This record gives sequence, structure tokens and C-alpha cells, in this order.
Amino acid sequence: MKLPLSWLKDYVDVDLAPKELASLLTFSGTEVEGIRTIGGDFTGIVVGEILTCERHPNADRLTVCQVNSGTETLTVVCGAPNAAAGLKVPLAVIGVTLPNGLKIKKAKVRGVESFGMMCAADELGLSEDHSGLMVLPADTRVGTPFTEIAGPPETVLELEVTPNRPDCLSMIGMAREVATLLGKPLRIPAPVVKEESRSVESLASVALEDPAGCPRYTARVLSGITIAPSPSWMQRRLAAAGIRPINNVVDVTNYVMLECGQPLHAFDYELLDGHRIVVRRAKPGETMSTLDSAAREINPEMLMIADGRRPVAVAGVMGGAGSEIRDVTKTVLLESAYFKPSDIRKTSKKLGLSTDSSYRFERGVDVENIEWASRRAAQLMVEMGGGVAAKGCIDVFPSKPARGQVTLRFDRARDLLGIAITNDQVVSIFKALGLGIVSRDAACCVAEIPAYRVDLLQEADLIEEIARIHGLDKIPSPSPVAKIVPGAEDRATRALLAFRGNLVGLGLSEIMNYSFLSEKLLDLVGFGEAAKRVVLPNPISADHTVLRDSFIPQMIETLGKNRARQAREAALFELGRVFCKDEAGRNAEVDRVCVGLMGPVGRPGMLKSQPVKDEEMFQWIKGILESLLAAQHVPSIVSGGLSRPDVTLSMMPSPCFEEGRAVRIRIAGADCGVMGLVGDRVRAEWRLTDPVAVLELDLAPLLANALRIPVSRAIGTFPCVDRDVAMVVEDGVSHEAIVATMWKAAPPELVDIRLFDIYRGENLGKGRKSVAYSLTYRSMEKTLTDEVANAFHDKVKAALKTELAAEFRES
Amino acid sequence: MNAQDIIALKERGLAEAAQAATLAEIEAVRVKYMGRKGLLQDVMDGLKSVPPEERRDFGRAANELKQELTALLDGRKATLSAAGKAAGRKQFDVSLPGAWRGLGTRHPVTQVIEETIRIFSMLGFTVADGPDIETEYHNFDALNTPADHPSRDTQDTFWLDGTTLLRTQTSPVQIRVMERCKPPVRIIAPGRCYRRDTTDATHSANFHQVEGLYVDRKVSMADLKGDITFFAREMMGPDVKVRFRPHFFPFTEPSVEYDFSCHVCGGSGCRVCKHSGWIEISGAGMVNPKVFNIVGYDPEACTGYAFGMGLERIAMIKYGIEDIRLLYDNDVRFLGQFS
Repeated sequence: MKLPLSWLKDYVDVDLAPKELASLLTFSGTEVEGIRTIGGDFTGIVVGEILTCERHPNADRLTVCQVNSGTETLTVVCGAPNAAAGLKVPLAVIGVTLPNGLKIKKAKVRGVESFGMMCAADELGLSEDHSGLMVLPADTRVGTPFTEIAGPPETVLELEVTPNRPDCLSMIGMAREVATLLGKPLRIPAPVVKEESRSVESLASVALEDPAGCPRYTARVLSGITIAPSPSWMQRRLAAAGIRPINNVVDVTNYVMLECGQPLHAFDYELLDGHRIVVRRAKPGETMSTLDSAAREINPEMLMIADGRRPVAVAGVMGGAGSEIRDVTKTVLLESAYFKPSDIRKTSKKLGLSTDSSYRFERGVDVENIEWASRRAAQLMVEMGGGVAAKGCIDVFPSKPARGQVTLRFDRARDLLGIAITNDQVVSIFKALGLGIVSRDAACCVAEIPAYRVDLLQEADLIEEIARIHGLDKIPSPSPVAKIVPGAEDRATRALLAFRGNLVGLGLSEIMNYSFLSEKLLDLVGFGEAAKRVVLPNPISADHTVLRDSFIPQMIETLGKNRARQAREAALFELGRVFCKDEAGRNAEVDRVCVGLMGPVGRPGMLKSQPVKDEEMFQWIKGILESLLAAQHVPSIVSGGLSRPDVTLSMMPSPCFEEGRAVRIRIAGADCGVMGLVGDRVRAEWRLTDPVAVLELDLAPLLANALRIPVSRAIGTFPCVDRDVAMVVEDGVSHEAIVATMWKAAPPELVDIRLFDIYRGENLGKGRKSVAYSLTYRSMEKTLTDEVANAFHDKVKAALKTELAAEFRES
Repeated sequence: MNAQDIIALKERGLAEAAQAATLAEIEAVRVKYMGRKGLLQDVMDGLKSVPPEERRDFGRAANELKQELTALLDGRKATLSAAGKAAGRKQFDVSLPGAWRGLGTRHPVTQVIEETIRIFSMLGFTVADGPDIETEYHNFDALNTPADHPSRDTQDTFWLDGTTLLRTQTSPVQIRVMERCKPPVRIIAPGRCYRRDTTDATHSANFHQVEGLYVDRKVSMADLKGDITFFAREMMGPDVKVRFRPHFFPFTEPSVEYDFSCHVCGGSGCRVCKHSGWIEISGAGMVNPKVFNIVGYDPEACTGYAFGMGLERIAMIKYGIEDIRLLYDNDVRFLGQFS
């Protein structure tokens, strides 16, 4: 909300500089987001009249005007679209400096000399409006110093009023805050209306058919009104508060709303069928168009203000086009009412229409202030529009609610805030806030809550009042006390932190992508089942329409984007959640890790320039998988003398991966991830020409045993014996098969198997390969003799020969 | 020949050995003195003619000659052969780059999360978790934010259907924890949140928060102030100050917002704090008794504080990042800065 300080000072004396006042408000709960000055030094700016206005000979969008400054006629070149003969406008002559710093000089514009400048409102620092020249009322005297029109500079505070404080959405409301904080009296006007002898009841009637939706409705009738612009002081205040002036009647409704927070509506009395107001729900099939000339779809849940025939306003939100104030309006029916906040909010949401009025009603207005606001507006309308008010005010208020009472325990306040405030201090804060003290004893007091404080409903609310008025800075800030809650443990977090440390230790850098992405990207990469995706019904953009069911699409995209930025290599990971629907159609979330590699990430510096081969890239990503499995203590199986992770890899078909380079990963028999080289078709999207590898794993099996405490085993003190074996086998015989055969055949003394050579060549024959392994034998009991080691090794070789048809190359 | 002659012989031998400049010369000295027909052998051959009472000294002197000369010759030999090897070896450029793969980096938001966990762990807080896809009940209703109340307007929500949504805040974790544990409770809950904000330099539809909740007997706003201040100093530096402003959140009462003094300029004003000396951080407050009632806690038996913080915001302030979009752009040149 915008708070012009000159207006505030109508109700309370403020002797603080704007900055000090801003700080006072900010630290008592109404944050001041900005301080703005409207207007400024208008010396030398006068009211000018455009006498003639002709098209500039050399420019389509410019005009050449003869402007009467009151003392002389000047030629002025103007670019404003609304320049026209007869308009009265602010005119700055040569030598003047505008509030925005622009100095007016004689200038030649496209060959025509210009001797001044006619101004738009923004150039004068009066508003943001740069749509055209600021047009002054036709009866303004030419030559009048503009300062007399614009008034002195105004300082406006921009406030952030929290949703619980509708009472602060007005000048008087803010004045009440300031008065409380400064200990100054509050001056609220006591409006007196010039009334005629005819009673309002004889002119109009109100039928309140829905007292739940509208607990109070008041109406006044003002006749003999002349519609005209409102006086410039009122226009200035409205503009400073951010509302566009329209005419005296409408301006008064807005002015009083800004003054006291009560939205008002003025109907043209003659356009109300039967001069009757009916407050009711919309009827099925009814339609109406609102003041903004939009046809609105109304429904029977919405509260309407109707006349004898049709709805004339959406209650509390906006008036209808068929009953609005016109230039010819003579008689006004003035509405001031209270509408149920939740009803107004629903209607406003449904219509997609939020107004200054609905904004206040949905937060709650002061039900006791309805009549005051009506009287105040009637007073101002009569003062400005002439005419007279009918006697009295129709005030339908079937059940006046009692004011709330809230009990505060002094000790509770002290305990909750952690301060030593006295009972007397508490009570005086309440009194300063306008709360009534119904009763008080040593332990507690009962406060009566004024109707404008709709937020004070419970003890905690009163404690907040104490805190904010007493000052949060008075609450101590002690050194923290560490405390362990029984049963607290953080194993999952420790496991995750350690895991991330392992990823970083492997040289991977963490990325973060959005949890949502485009379906197009998911379709391209082809992970997950489209039917199980969690789709956003109201996405912000086409790039973010569905929750990710895999990290892989964005990982590839990230690698691609980095490649496009000329990154030569990247080794990345992402940790987080993916989403999909489970078998029962419920939304499910799974924590996962994804790794992506691009470029020669596995090679030392000087070898990086050679192109990366597919197989090499696959070995790097597999190396990362193996390192992680080892570090995370996944379930293991024991074969021979060694235990190794219980992980199986199997080839799988995938639209994302290269044919034959896609592997499904199972840990202890359960599917938990995939790994592979990204296929040509997908890489082409980002012009990735070199191999790209990705790995995605569920986190649960990786973290389940991460904190397992290792139990140390004897490592043996006797020397080991190494024996090599080189053999030729069919190309289809996998490393895994060879190793498995060795483990199976060997005694427990076999403790390690290392592959050290693979060779394929014509001399071996087509479809064959030579592989060489080094085996380590070690006994825990004794030093192995050559004879014993050879016997072990022969056994292994025999098994290789019979089971895999290996042929040995004797060296 | 007596012992004195042998000592003189030793001195000569040692002097010759010291002068020997090549392995061949060293070998020549050895042969001359200690060879099969060398000078020492000559001396020993004369042992028989030495009177018995002098034989002991004679023998000792001869022995010393042998030991000292051998030691010197061996030492000279080792020195010369090492120098020879060094002379024959190829030199390398120790200024060449190392070839070990470097460490990776944690994302700056993660670093802030891990740091937050570390700080609150010191105070005995543990980490709690909740789903990203939340119910309307946990995200709003149980947090005293009913559908027909304007306080919902501040959080434009991604609804999945009529009652489920992407959480707009980490506060629903408060509810989930209180539903499953009796007081006392002392948790933080970092996590992802989502709001239908149009992305710009300071807004992101996908962001992270950390929630904090402490419920026990007689928890006060002073505890909240003390703990937040401790956090600020641990996170941003020992000189950082915190100021609190009253605010409104539906699930806390009283509610506050808090600002940190700028750790970059120390409060005098700079680019990071937009020349105000203070940086707005986030909100907190004392748990609203209505929330306690909703989760079945007795508001008379316990009180508590809760806070929430935007982690991107803290990362941006801490590391001087000017555009939130950099945090989700994953440019390796950017990420590499956070090692």
C-alpha cells in the first residue's frame, strides 16, 4: 500500500523524518519497501495552452505547436501522441530543470526550432505515466505556476501490509499504528452530512436476503449531485496513493476507502430498478457485465447486489456496467457494507478479478465502521458535488456481533518471549493499541478486541502485539544450548553426506537440474513409461510440464550444453528425487544418483588430445560404478578367497543407449539402475559427436550398508606367489566367465586375479582372442613352495581348458 | 717395523685414498695397500720378528689401518658411482603438470545445505525428510493456511490434482515430524520446493529451503534469536549480526523476519547488500498453538520455534552469485569455482 505522508499527518502528528518513520514501521511489523518522492521543484513550469498543433514537416510522429505561456507564444516541437489545440498542459520554458534532471534548452528538432517542452506526468516525477502530455483541467488559468496545481512535493512510503492486518490498508489504520508507536493522539474526523427532510427510507429500500454472506448493509441517497472532476487536492492524494481520479463521486468512494479501509460503491440511483437493493446469491442463468465492460460468468455461489430486476454489482468485488455513475448522474445511492471474507475471496478467485475492494473485504473490514464510512463519503460528495443527502441511513445489521475478548497470562507472555516485561507495561501496550481492558488480576488480563483488529483471536496474537510494540530488539539473544533429543539419530544423513563425498572424491562435480522438464525431452531419451509420468496440469512453460522420472535426460542435456560452450570434458553427478506413478497409480518418489561423462575424463593430461574410444569410455563409467559399489559396502558374495559386490550386469535394449552398450544393473538380485553409452540419435540433439556415458542408480541399496563398520581380517604374513596364464579363447568367452572359472577351480589360496593383456590378431584366427592374467596365491599358514603353487595353477589351467576350451601359449 | 710405522703407513694410505678421483684409482689404492701382495701384507709378514710385548699394539695398528682405509675407499666409491649415475640420467622438468585426476565439486546449494546440517548438528538437531509431492493438508491446512484465506496468495502453487501439490515450502515436514514423534523435537529439514514463479534473476520455480523446528517445554523467542544468530555467524562469519522484524506467517505466532548484516562489507553498504548494510534472509516464529492443536500436541505443555530459509538465497549471498539461474545452468566453468 502507498502511504502519502501529508495525508497520514491529517490524523496524527509525525515529527520524524521519512526514513525514521519507515524504520519505526518496519520494526513494528509493517515493512516499508520503499520511499518515493512525488513531484519536486516546479520553478519555471507554468500552465500553457496549445493554440495550434500542426504536423512536423519532416517527421510523422512529431507536431509543431504554438503554445501560450501566459506571457508569450512559443513554438514547441512535441512528440506526444495526444498533443492537440486547446489543451492546457504543463509547459517548461528554456532554462528550467525538470524534477527528473532534464534541463530545457533551445533545440532544433528535425530542422524546426523548439523553445520549450510540454511535459508528461512521469517527466514531472508525478507518476509513471508516459502515455502522453499531462492534460490539465480546461478551466485552469494559462500562466499559472505549475506548483500551484501540483502542490508541494509528496513523500510516499510503499508498505508491505501482511494479510492478517487489513486494518493497516488505510490512512487512519496506519495513523493508528503510528500514534500507538509514538504515543501521540489519533484524530479521526467526525463527519456531519447536510441532510434534507425526505427520509432515505422514502427513496430506497434494502432487502438483505443473505445475512450470512452480508451481515451488514447500509445505503444512503444523495440527490442534486453534479458530476465533475474532484478538486485537485483530492486528485493528487488519490494519484499519490495509486488510484486514478475519475469524477467527484467515484473519487470520494475511493478516497474514503483509502482513508478508513472501507470499500464503498456508488450506484446511479435512477438506474436501479424500483430504487431497490436486494442482497442475494446469483440466480441460475443470470449474467452481468462489470464496470470494466467484461461479461462475467456468475454462479449461484456468488453474492450479488441486485436491484428489483437484475444484479447490479458483484458484491464486494466490482460494480456492474448497467448502474454506474455517469456524467449525467444526479442522484447517487451509496453502499457501505460488510461482506463475509471467504465468500468474497471465492468469488474473486473464480472470476479472476481482484480489486482494491475485494482485497480489503477478503481480509476483513471493520464491521463497526460501516456507517462512519458512509457518512464520511456522503459529507464529501455533498461538499464536492453540491446537492443534499436524504435524511438518515438505511442500516441493515440483523445481528451485531459482540467484540471478541482474549485472555492473556502475563507469565505466558514472558515465557514465550523470553523477556522480563512487567504486567503494567503489557497493559499499557494494549491500551495504546486501543484494546479495552475488561478485567485484570495479578496473573492475567482480559482484553476486548476492537472490531478493526480481525487478527487478534487468541493469546498468542496478543503476545505478538507485545513483542512488536515493545520491540524485538529487546528480546535477548542468548548463546545456544546444545540438546540431544532422546531417540534422535542421523544415520541416513551421514550416509548421504559420505556418499556425496565419495562422488566428489572420484572427481565428479555436482549439478542441479529442475525437477520438472519437457515431455519432449523425456520422450527423446525414452526412459520410464509415459503412462506413469507425473504431469503438471498448470505448468509455467512448455519446458516444464512433467516431473522427471529419470535424471538421464537432463544429464545428457547438461553435457550437451557444456559441450556447446566448448567444454572439452565433464564428469558430473546429480543426487535427488525422481517421480513416477506406482502400480496403484499413486505418486511415488525415489532417491537416485546419476553420473555423466563426456570427453577424455579418464586420461592424464597429455593423452587427452586423442579421440575417446567407446570401449574406453565404457570402462571409465564402469570404473566409477565399481568404485562406488566397493565404497558403499553393497551386499557381497564370496568366491574363492575374496568377497566381491553382489552385482550383476546384463545387456538391455534401450532407445537411449547405443546398441550393445546398455547395461542393466542388479544389486543382490534387484534391479537398481542402468549404465551405458548414449546413442547417436540422442547425442545428435546436442551435436555430441564423441562418446557420452551415463549411469543411474537407486540410492537406497547404495546407502543401506554405507555406515557398516568393517571388521578387520588377517591379511597374512607369508609371501605370495604370482603365476601368469596366457591363453587363446573364442571371442565370445567373457572376462567374467574366465574369472569365474578360475575362482571355482582354485583353492582358497588364490587371492587375486588381474587381467593384463588382451590381443586380437590374424595369427590367432578369426573370432579368437588372446588374454593374459596374473594370479596371486597366498597361504595363511605357510610359505608356498613352487611345487605347491604350480599344482594350484595347473588345476586352474585344467579347468580353463575343459570348461572354456582355452589353449595355452607357453612362453 | 713397529706400530708407529704402521700408523704412518695408514696416514699415507688415507691421503692417497682421499685423492683418488676415479673408480680405477680407488681400486689401485686398495690393491697397493690391502691387495694379496700389498703393503699391509708386507707388514703382517714381519709380525714374527716383533717382540712379543709389542705384538698387541702392532696388531691393533695393523687392524686399524685395514678398517679405516676400507671405510674411506668404500665411501669414495659410493660417492663416485652415485655422481656417475646422476651424470648419465635424463633430467626431467618438475614444473610439468601433475597427472592425477582432481577432485570434483559440490554444488553451491549443497554446500550451504551441508554447512547448515553441520551447524545445527552442533546444537543437537537431526535431519528430517518429507515428500516433494505433498498433500494440501500438510502443505497448507495443517499449517493454519486455509483455502479461503489470503495468506495462500503469497505462494502460487503447482497443483497436481485437487488435493496434491508440489510443496511450496519445507514447512509440511514440521507437520509430518510432529505427527510421528512426541515432543521434544529438534529437527531441520532441507529440501526442494516449488512455486509458480516466473524465473528471473532472483526467482526460480524450483528452489530449496531448510526448515527448522524445536519443540520442548518453555522454548522462547529468545532461544530462536540466539540460535538464528549462532547460525548466521557460523554460516557467514563471526562478525555477522542479525536483526529481527515482526512479520506474519499463518503457522507461527508471533512471527518474525530476519536480516543478516552484510558479511562482505561489514554493514557499510556494497553491491551484495544493495548498499543497505543488511540482507533480508527469511522468516521464523513461535509455533502457532493452532498448529499444535492440529497435530495433537498440547500447547500448554510445550512451546516451540520454527524457521525456514531459502538456500539459494543464502548461497547467492555467501558466494556473491548475482543470478539464481546460474545455480541451475550447470556450466562446468561456474561449478568449478566451488572447490
